[in-house]
Amino acid sequence: MGAEVDHVSPMGMSGGSAEGNDKSEGQRFSCKNKLTALVVDNGGVCRAIQTALLRSYGVETEAVETGEAAVQLIASGATFNLIIIEMLLPVLNGPETARQIRAMGAQSKILGITAFFDERHQQEFLAAGADGFIEKPLSPEIVIPIIWELDNYM
Amino acid sequence: MERNQMRRQLALIRQSFFDQGFLDEQFIQLEELQDDANPNFVEEVVTLYYRDSSRLILNIDQALERNPLDFNKLDNYMHQFKGSSTSIGAKKVKAECTQFREYCKAGNSEGCMRTFQQLKKEYAILKRKLEAYFQQARQAGPLETACRSRN
Repeated sequence: MGAEVDHVSPMGMSGGSAEGNDKSEGQRFSCKNKLTALVVDNGGVCRAIQTALLRSYGVETEAVETGEAAVQLIASGATFNLIIIEMLLPVLNGPETARQIRAMGAQSKILGITAFFDERHQQEFLAAGADGFIEKPLSPEIVIPIIWELDNYM
Repeated sequence: MERNQMRRQLALIRQSFFDQGFLDEQFIQLEELQDDANPNFVEEVVTLYYRDSSRLILNIDQALERNPLDFNKLDNYMHQFKGSSTSIGAKKVKAECTQFREYCKAGNSEGCMRTFQQLKKEYAILKRKLEAYFQQARQAGPLETACRSRN
């Protein structure tokens, strides 16, 4: 069989756009400790992708559709190292969800996330106790440093 | 070998999606997430995208029929649409979403309606391309190379 394993690509295609991620050269980054994350997003696509991304780095990740569900989960005793919360959630919005989570004493790193960056929303989130606010998509560039920090400064 | 030829053609088609601006690097991120545990991740996510988006499009179409327009509602719908479009790397669709939102913020009904027609066009074009691509990929079959290592 051909010994030359080409660049990682599911369909067996090589190349791509300018980037050419050469992750096939080494192992994918993975955390040493057991890290947990919660994704809170009312969009199924975003939930699926963010969850898969975090899991690919070894982070045990759960996803819920609403702020209320997130609050309930934490109220029931679940803890997470990282919580990613969409801004425009229907009933309990992102910042309000973050506020309630913080009010329960959760020490998690909380990241607000949104489709359209807006300074007002950023301020709302930070005032509610979030640690950061980013625009989608959740990317390796954003997530790897966060995971690395959580992993090394537990 | 016919299969290799199919794969080469498929690679060129895939590359054209990037070169012509239909997809951006985020799509590659999706491909990177596909592995033995999730062998059809990309197609599954894209299918989910089209399923969820069709509902959003219906909602937006209906909202655009109101008079006057509820720009806040439209903005909320578009927020979700942009979020998912961005997440799968749908570059042109994402650009239309951004344009739409600008018109929403400006309270420009005409602009919103025009942009949404354009958005639906781009959306449909990408859908056709991706559906054909996945179908051909299935015919070409998976490569028997070693998979990316995972912890």
